Amino acid sequence: MKTKFMQLSTEEKRVLARLKASLALHMVEEASAADAGLQKICPSGGVSMKLGIRGAGPALGLQVPKISQILPAPPRRPSLLLFFPNTEAAVRVFSGAKGAVIPVPLGAGAFSALAFFRKASSRATELLRAPDTAEATRARLLLAATLYGLEAIAGESYLERRMQIVPDGVVGVRAGEIAFRVAKKGRTIHVQRDAQPGDALPEDAPPAAATGSPHLDALLSFAGYRSAIDVLSGKRQAVVALGSGEVHIEGLLPLVQGLFAVLDRLSWYLGVEV
Amino acid sequence: MNEMTDETSGAAGSPSSSGRSAGAQDSRFAASMAYFERAARVIPGGIYGSKSPGFLVPGHFPYYLSRARGSRIYDADGNEFIDYLCGYGSQIVGYGNPAVDGPALEQARKGDLLNQPHPAMVELAERLVGLVDGMDWAVFVKNGTDATTLATSIARADTGKQVIIAAEGAYHGAANWCSTNVFPVFLQAEQRDVRFFPYNDVQALEALFEAERGNIACLILTPYHHPTYKPQQLPTPEFTAAVERLCRAEGAYFIVDDIRANFRLDMHGSHKFFSVHPDLITMGKALANGYPISVLLGTDGLRKTASSFFITGTYWMSAVPMIAALATLDEMERMGGTARLAELGRVLKDGLESLGLEAGFRARVSGPPAIPYLTFDEDPDLYLNQRFCAAMADRGVFMHPHHNWFISLAHSEEDIARTLEAARSAFAELSSSLATERP
Ligand SMILES: Cc1ncc(COP(=O)(O)O)c(C=O)c1O
Repeated sequence: MKTKFMQLSTEEKRVLARLKASLALHMVEEASAADAGLQKICPSGGVSMKLGIRGAGPALGLQVPKISQILPAPPRRPSLLLFFPNTEAAVRVFSGAKGAVIPVPLGAGAFSALAFFRKASSRATELLRAPDTAEATRARLLLAATLYGLEAIAGESYLERRMQIVPDGVVGVRAGEIAFRVAKKGRTIHVQRDAQPGDALPEDAPPAAATGSPHLDALLSFAGYRSAIDVLSGKRQAVVALGSGEVHIEGLLPLVQGLFAVLDRLSWYLGVEV
Repeated sequence: MNEMTDETSGAAGSPSSSGRSAGAQDSRFAASMAYFERAARVIPGGIYGSKSPGFLVPGHFPYYLSRARGSRIYDADGNEFIDYLCGYGSQIVGYGNPAVDGPALEQARKGDLLNQPHPAMVELAERLVGLVDGMDWAVFVKNGTDATTLATSIARADTGKQVIIAAEGAYHGAANWCSTNVFPVFLQAEQRDVRFFPYNDVQALEALFEAERGNIACLILTPYHHPTYKPQQLPTPEFTAAVERLCRAEGAYFIVDDIRANFRLDMHGSHKFFSVHPDLITMGKALANGYPISVLLGTDGLRKTASSFFITGTYWMSAVPMIAALATLDEMERMGGTARLAELGRVLKDGLESLGLEAGFRARVSGPPAIPYLTFDEDPDLYLNQRFCAAMADRGVFMHPHHNWFISLAHSEEDIARTLEAARSAFAELSSSLATERP
């Protein structure tokens, strides 16, 4: 059953606003790294900006490097703050509806950062929808959205007991050449991207205890980009994909099961009507 | 950005779990897979709960079974396995044992679900009250969950207190008060007054009794600890002593949930095996060799409260399982009972541990020999369990990677010998695959 934004508790409104903002930022980040067109229009020193939502905790930051920079640039001071006067405004804007947002320039390059953010956001959406998007790119965007989504909601009180009974540990998530690492500790989930198409995969093959390589408590792998897209976009039921071998899980099952429970909550949030 | 988030909302699918594997392509399980694909369209999750394929190791285990005999099960593709899950413990004298099925099927022809109970109900109650140490009455239900739920409800009604204490990781059924469906709506209702402590931890239990003093209706424990995904633990004498002392001081009832271990440790109940004295005992699973019946047994002190309860279910008094239970008890005794189960289990345990050691693994079989479970001390994440059990399944032996196993009286010495032969080659496969993976 769909829930309306107005029916949410104050905490849920805050979680949803942060979730939407975080997804928007991560999508821009991933799309910028994956898409040559965006790289071309990325301002020469990269983009550094913040999103602030009144009533939803500390501002969220975005750093998009220009890939042509030979050495990774040190994090830059943000040149722009996008400020939302309340959680509803943020949720509306990041859901594609009209809502109040105030761009606050913080330094030189604020307007090119804003222009880039706008273009990159709509390009990310396009990449997710367009049938001719490379599978690797779609899989990468969907995986990032899902995993960073988990990260954004993990601490909410609805999930407290769930997070308590899920064992702590690190899950490696793999699809083709994409590798993420999801660390669950107490009531937090922390996501780290280990590899993207073109990179070498990290060498932490399970069973880690036996190989002595960096430890993963569980490994969730998709048979390929297509499987990841089908499962993460809801075209293929995850349980069926598991049963049919398109998705494999090895290692500490209760940890992965626990994350699936958080995923259910994520999908509830994403289903909230604005 | 709207669509972006809509797309991701599809990530909703909630698989319950899984293991590694080869999958659909494996023609050994083509029929299982075909049924599973069909099931996924009409049954949430395809196969739900603990039987979900992901709880095993997909690609190495069948999803659907068609028949069974003795210690063997046969899947929808006709593959045969020596079975160590025994219908999650419900098979104790072997699948299709004629000594049980004969009288049960005869009763089925005469009539199963009748308006009033069959006289076998009286006989079975008398038999159990005579057999199970310290128990004075019996109430028959269908599932183990019915029995544990009734037990805790009777304890609450009798004491007028709310709090139920249980061990972390213990399974007492799928009802909201005890299941792992921890939605806040249940946390605020059925699960609100259930408290947990780490098994065998006397200090933690004492602290919990202290914190909840005056509010505790009952403590529910399995006779020993058999959590999923973890080695099994036997109770320490200090722990059992503390349990009885604390319950007595609090005026809380002590419930032994013997549904899983049922009659595999002691024909007089597993509590006898561990020398404890519960007020209520739940049994099920092996009670009728797989026919659907469970029982709540209680002491005289609770008889009045039990008789003032409205206890019923359309199928709870069906005759066939009661006839089957009586026949199962006879057959267990005839086939050698718990001594034989322990002996077979001991051979399996010793064999697996020494074969593991020979192959360079610290494989450890925990729990009582009749209800063994193998884990690898070097790998609490269970990668090795999954690989070992997959390799065993490839060799025609059904050993669950995440749930304890069961020995039945239908297992023969030859079954155990064949199992150990398979284990020798499974350990070798494991060892060589790890050697090639090592950087
Ligand atoms: C110890 C214990 N209690 C209760 C139950 C629940 O029994 P049922 O599945 O018949 O409801 C089980 C089932 O596995 C069990 O092992």
